[in-house]
Formats: sequence, C-alpha cells, structure tokens
Amino acid sequence: MHTTPPKLADKLLTLFCAPHRLEEVQGDLHEEFDYQVRQLGERRARWRYWWDVLGFIKPFAIKRQSSDTYSTAYLMNASMLRNYFRTAWRSLVKNRFYSLINMTGLTAGLAVGILILLWVQDEFSFDRFHRQSANIYRLENWAGTGSSRQIWTSTVAPIAVMGKKELPEIKDAVRIAYNGMYTLFKYKGKAINEENTLFADPTLFSVFDFPLIQGNPANPFPDNHSIVLTETTAKRYFGNENPIGKILAGTDRNAFKVSGVIRDFPKNSSIRRDMVLPISLLFDTMYQNRTDGRNRDNDFATFNFDTYLLLQPGASISNLTDKLRTIHLRNKPDDTDLTYLLQPLPDMHLYKADGSEGGIETVRMFSIIALLILVIACINYVNLSTARSMLRSKEVSMRKIVGAAKSQLFMQFVVETTLLFSLAAVLALGLMYVLLPAYNQLSGKELVLDFADERLWKIIGLTIVGTLVASSIYPALLLSSFEPLKALKGKVSARLSEAVFRKVLVVAQFAVSVILIASTFIISNQLQYIRAKELGYDKTHVLGFFMRDDMSKHYDAVKADLLNQPGVTAVTRASSNIVQLGAQTGDNEWAGKEKGETMFVRPVAIDKDFIPFFRMKVMQGANFTGTVSDSTHFILNETAVKAARINNPIGKSFRLWKRKGTIVGVVKDFHFASMRQKIEPAIFYYDPSQMWALYIKTTGQDAKQVVAAAERSYKQYNPDYPFEYSFLDDVFNNLYKSEQQTGLLFNVFASIAILISCLGLFGLATYTAQVRTREIGVRKVLGASVTGIIQLLATDFMKLVVIAILIATPIAWYAMSRWLQDFAYRIDVQWWVFGLAGLLALAIALLTVSFQSIKAALMNPVKSLRSE
Amino acid sequence: MKRTYLGEFEEIVLLTVAVMEGGAYGVVITHEIVAQTGRSVRLNQIHAALQRLEDKGMVKSEMGEPTAERGGRRKRLFTVTAYGRRTLQEIHEVRVSFWNRLLNPLKLTTSL
Repeated sequence: MHTTPPKLADKLLTLFCAPHRLEEVQGDLHEEFDYQVRQLGERRARWRYWWDVLGFIKPFAIKRQSSDTYSTAYLMNASMLRNYFRTAWRSLVKNRFYSLINMTGLTAGLAVGILILLWVQDEFSFDRFHRQSANIYRLENWAGTGSSRQIWTSTVAPIAVMGKKELPEIKDAVRIAYNGMYTLFKYKGKAINEENTLFADPTLFSVFDFPLIQGNPANPFPDNHSIVLTETTAKRYFGNENPIGKILAGTDRNAFKVSGVIRDFPKNSSIRRDMVLPISLLFDTMYQNRTDGRNRDNDFATFNFDTYLLLQPGASISNLTDKLRTIHLRNKPDDTDLTYLLQPLPDMHLYKADGSEGGIETVRMFSIIALLILVIACINYVNLSTARSMLRSKEVSMRKIVGAAKSQLFMQFVVETTLLFSLAAVLALGLMYVLLPAYNQLSGKELVLDFADERLWKIIGLTIVGTLVASSIYPALLLSSFEPLKALKGKVSARLSEAVFRKVLVVAQFAVSVILIASTFIISNQLQYIRAKELGYDKTHVLGFFMRDDMSKHYDAVKADLLNQPGVTAVTRASSNIVQLGAQTGDNEWAGKEKGETMFVRPVAIDKDFIPFFRMKVMQGANFTGTVSDSTHFILNETAVKAARINNPIGKSFRLWKRKGTIVGVVKDFHFASMRQKIEPAIFYYDPSQMWALYIKTTGQDAKQVVAAAERSYKQYNPDYPFEYSFLDDVFNNLYKSEQQTGLLFNVFASIAILISCLGLFGLATYTAQVRTREIGVRKVLGASVTGIIQLLATDFMKLVVIAILIATPIAWYAMSRWLQDFAYRIDVQWWVFGLAGLLALAIALLTVSFQSIKAALMNPVKSLRSE
Repeated sequence: MKRTYLGEFEEIVLLTVAVMEGGAYGVVITHEIVAQTGRSVRLNQIHAALQRLEDKGMVKSEMGEPTAERGGRRKRLFTVTAYGRRTLQEIHEVRVSFWNRLLNPLKLTTSL
C-alpha cells in the first residue's frame, strides 16, 4: 500500500515555495517520507513530514527566480515596484525636513478631514436605519393665514385612523404624543421622575425598527396600564431581574405592568424616549367625562399627535395629502386654512418641517470645510514636490538616458507619493484615535472609531484615495516629463520658475484661509449679537421651576415664605417658561377679524406682578391689577396688535378660547424664542389656576441658599417628586447651544486649515531661500541690507496673499450673507471684517515667510558662496 | 590564498557530492551524511547548502529521472565542478601541511 504525505502540508509547500524549486524539493520530501514510513511508521512519518516542510520556510526556498529580461513593458513588474519603493524611501529620508512638513500637513489634514466626514456621515445616517424608512412619512399640516401661516408637525388624532381605513396608499400609521401626565414611577423604594416618555400606537414597534426584545410583538400593550421600557430604563428599575410582568407604581393609585422591553433607541433616531405607554390610555384620560361630545374618533381640534404614515411604495404624495385634506374637511368644514403635507422620515433630521434647509446647512458647511482642509493639505504636497522638482531633474534625466520610460518614471513618483500618504494615513488614524474624545465633547456627538464598521473604512478609504489621486498625478506628470538634455544643461529651471500653476495653488490656499478667517469673525459676531441683544425683559439671576398641584394651591403662603428668605427680591408666577414659550392657539377673535383669517398667538397666563418682575415695558394701557375683573382682561404684545390690525387697542374686545374680554394693555415686544425666529404674537391673560411656573428673582449672591429654600418649600408639598429647577440664563444659553457648538467647531477647523496652509507656505519659503542662497550671498557682498533681502524674499509671497484676499472677499461675503439669512435678527456684514481677515492672513503669511527670509538674510555670505 | 570561503558543513556536503559521483541529490546526500557523521541533518539544510555551493560555483546540477516514490517528480542531480574539486584539494592540502608539521600527533590526541 502506498501512503501519501499530509495533503495540507503539501498545499502549504506549494504556496510558499518558489515555483522553480518546487519540483525537486517536493520530490525529495516525498522520497524522504516514503523512506521514513518504512523506518518509523506512518504516524510519525507524517509528523516528520510537517516538520520537514516547515523547515523550508526559509528565504532560499521562498525567493522567486529573478527575471532575466532587462526591459519589460509591464509597469507593475515586481522588481520594478521594489525599486520604486526603495528609491521613494531613500528620497523621503534624504529630504527629512520637507518630508516632515508634508507628513505633518497631511496627517493633520487627513485626521481632521476624516473626523469631520465621520460627523457628516453620522448626521446623514439619522432615521435611515429603519428597513422601511423610504416609505415612512411624517404627516404635518399648514395652518393659519397671512403672516400667521405656519406648519404644525403634530396633527389631530383621528386622521391617522380614517386615512388608514379609507386610503389604500396608507399601509399603516403610528401616532405619538408626549407624556407629561404620568411621570413618577416607583419600584421597591426607587422613585424616578421620568420626563422623557411618550404615548404611542402599538404600531410603533412594527412600522419602525424598534423591535421588542421581550414581550409579545403581536400585542405589545395587553391593556391600558401596560408599559414598554427601553433596556436602560428597565435596568434602572429592576437591575438584572426580568422586567416582564413587574409592576411600576405611579401616582394616584396608578400602576403599570411592564409588558415589553425594546432595545434603547439608537442615537441617530429622531424618536428617542425612555418609556412607551399605550396611546389609548391618553385617549381615555383625555376624553373621559367630556361634556362637549368629543372623543378620540371625532376630535378634529386637538393638534397634539405626531403622526407617521407607512405608505405603499410609489404612492403619490400630492394626491394623498389632498385626500387627507378632504377627509379632514368632511369632519370639520371650517378648517379651510388647513392643508396637509408629508415629510419623508429621513429628511426629518436635516430639513425643516416645510422641506426647507435646516441642519443640512451646517452639514454642508462642514463638508465643505473638510474638503477644503483636505485640498489645502494636498496643495501643500503638490507645491512642495513640484517646487523641489528642479532638484530632481538631474535624477530624472539620468534615468531617462539609461532607458527609463516616461510611464515608469510616472509610476516611480506615484509610488513615492503613495508611500508618504500611507505613512501619513497611519499617523492620522492614531491622531484621530487620540482626538476623538475631545472631538466628541466639542461636537456633542458620541462617535466611536469602530474599526469593524465598513462605513468607517469606506470614508477613510475614499478620503485617502481621493487625496492621493489629487496630489500624485500632477507632480508625477511634471517630474516624468523633463527632457533629459535640457534638464542636464540646467535649462529646466527657467521653465519651472514660471510655475504659474504653483502660484495659483498658493493663492487658492490663502483665499480659503481668508474666507475661513472672515467667516469665523462673522459667526462669532453674530453669536455675540444674539446673546447680547435686548430681549425686552430682564432674566438675570432668575430661578424658575414648575409647581405641582398642591403647591400651586398654596401659592400665597409659598410666596410669602420665599420673600422672607435672604437673597430673594421678588417672586412671581406664570403659565409657561418665558425664555421659550410653548403652546400656540388660533382659537381667538377680535373686532375686525376677517372671515377665514387665523392668527396664532402664544397665550401666557401671568400674575399681576409678572410684568414688573421681568421689567417689561407697558407701551399702552395698564398692567393687571389683581382684582377679579382681570380674568376678562388681556394684554397683547406689539406684534399681536400689528398682526390683528387693531388701532387704539385699549378697550377693544378680544376673545381667547372661551374667554371673552377686553384689551387693557400693550406690552413691548420681547424675545420668547431663539433669535432665529421672528417675534410672534403673544397674549397675556389672567388665570391663577394655570400659573404653574414659579419665578424667583435673587440678588445673585445667595443663589445657593435661595435654591435650598425653594427646594424645602417644594418638598413640603411634594415630597415624592424630585425638585428640578433652572436659572433662566442657562435656559437661554441652551437655546443657542447648537449655534455655540457650530461656532466653536468652525473656529477649530478654520484654525487647523490656516495652520496647514502656513505649513505649506513655510516649506515653500524655506525652499526659495535655499535655492537663492547664492544670489543672497552675492547681493550681500555687493552691499544689500538685511531688510532689503527680506523684502526681496517676502514680496513674492505677499503679492500672492494679496490676490488671495481680493478673491476671497466676495466669496466670503456671499457665503456669510447666506448663513445669516437663517437668523431673523442678524448683524450686517461689515467690510472691516474682510479688511481685518485679510490683514490677519497677511500677517500670518509674513510671519511664516520672514522666519526663513531673515535666516537667509543674516547668513554669512562667505559661507553661502562657498557652499556651492 | 584566493579562494571562496567554505563553511565546515558546506565542505562536508561538497565532499559527499564528490564521493557520490553524479548520483547525488537531496535525500541521498542527507542519508549519507547522517550515516557517515552521525549528526542529525534536515533536508532543508542540505538544500540550502547545495544552493549556496551552486551559487559559489562549486557544484553544478541538472534534472534527473522521475521515480515513483517521488510522486513522478524529477530529482536534481549534483556534480562537483572543476572549481569545486580544486577547492577541496586546496583545503585538503592546507590541512595535510599542518598535520605534517605536527611533530607528535599521537601526543596531541592523548592530551585531548
């Protein structure tokens, strides 16, 4: 019987062994195996065979036969490639200084560029992870007329049900409503106030990709007191116990049985909450004991529900919205101002409700900056390598004379670039890893470098390949195109000194820098402006919190008690937070209102001392007096008076909801929303039963004691609930958090871009000074002054920077005017900003260049003349 | 003396090739050296040494006949070149001349 040696070992051998040696080696091995089988037996022979095969993993057996052919048309020939790498490495090491400059610029550029692109990608990934996301739309409606016309992203409840029943295009619908009703949950001594929960249809778990990991998907809410928790929330209450079937106690003898657990909502989901309650519970609570006959199937007046529709693929959107409007009007004929519209789910994050640009602007801005940073880094490389190409013209010429083809030289320089880029890419990855925590803090994201994620590699790969292609082709073409005879005679320098292309690149680089500097100025000016703008009320040192029922009933006692505390100067109350007024209503009427006209006002119930408390200005009429008649009095803001076109408003009649009365005063406009929005109509009315928000004005010194006193008072009435308060200044700052973040990020990125530009300029200046060493020496010998030489060297660059400023100014002006369009209240773009930006760019460039120039100018001419 | 340096192991391999007179290839050289010197030699060492010797021009090789136990593969048969022969000769002569100058070889061995 003939035994064969282990197949796997044989395969291994054929894999590594050089083909021209394989036959003899394998032959010998087999013969030896045959011999050993007879000597030692098969089992040990097999072991021995492995051992012998492994012994051949040595260079002498692996090394391939070198090809004997001297000329090969094949560019990627292995030995040629090896040669490319060798020469590339040598040239990188030889020119350490320039390699370092290039590498630093590229590393910084790649790291920052990729980080920005990661952010951009994360922004784009919002709400796209649902399998059906392409067919999910958010239902919105236009409401109001004239200047009051606006989009509401929440709709009435029945439209979803009726639409789904009547229209075949609608496959399914989900309604979501914010839950402010049931917020306190207790389990085994743990009591947590849950602010971030929602009511939803059970379809939430099937239309969206929020699958239940525990619970019954067919019936997630067995009854009205079922509740679905996210994993994190479940852990918060139950630790490692199985949450299903556990009871969470609420207030007023309410109790909820956990019927399901879902994975935490992804970070890139627009819908992110901690708990989901059945929406039927909300309906039951809303419509029980109603005397006006409204119920969940006919209430077309409460716009309180975010409605998401899952449509049949290819359904016509405009047809559908018309049909929905028809259904709405059939049920509520007087809503003639209402039209429906649908926003695709993936657009929700980056576009405003009406489809106009929202966050996408920032995304675009940052994408452009990322691109610019990468371009600047590439320009550095291209400039330095083409500028210094003169030094290599002799090498190229020699290679050509010896027989190198142009394509081979091209390859050589591409490989050189690739080598440098690969090193820079590795360093950039390291740098990104180090920078990520700081970057996350800056951008408010939670990005991770998950190297198993193919999307990460796609971005990194595309960026690197893109920049590599952009920066390798031109230098390689230029270098490989030298004509050997001319180059050896030294005539190539004349042609290169023209180098228009390089100048264009430097101009482009600095134009970008100037644009970024100017934009930075304008952005920070605007941010400062909106924060310093007169708000129309005084919010300094004001502390606010929401009272609950019991406390609200004892408001007078609470107020008297608080006023006795040191540090408290005044106390008042209202129905909502003045920094950010919430609700809006169109349910109003006044003398002179036209038929079909709707004006949306923001109603606020205020106490009589509210206006003096916030130092608002009453323009006409008077404030509330604290008497019974106040309940039929209204105070409008100027915008409301204007929008309603009421002349001499004092004493005119006005109706808000069912409240009929007269206008007693007009208050000066004040900002109750972000400066991005125009001031809207607002109305003050007097109704103590609705004034939940308590405001305390402090002297600013004893803030801590005041907070403690307020908490004591709060706990006295609501020992169960955690005391949550905020200073209005903080609330106000929060309004501009995203702007601040954008501004800060922009600053950082702009600085990096400028730094990289300077690095390139520094390299170029160094090179110029180096090339002109002899010239400078001769000039000095002939009597040139140091300043004269510095001038000589710097003027060339300064000219370019001035051109860059001229080009950059209109571009920056245009871009920034567009950015400012977004703010209802904004600064004018002033010309001095561009002057300053230009001056700054000039100064930076001068500083960069002069370092080398001064060094060159101070050099001893004897030395420099002897050096060549 | 102007000759390429030969390692001790190379010398033994070269000698073996010379002794076998045209029938030398990897496996038999290995077995022969194991038999003659008693040291454990691995196939890859022999191949490496043969290659070095060929690079130095001491041996030349050609492909021989295929056999069954080799799975139908041919063997590479080595023969010593004239240069290799001369080198062996020189090594031998140097050794012999030293041995001849040794006055009392027996004493040396006993003292070892």
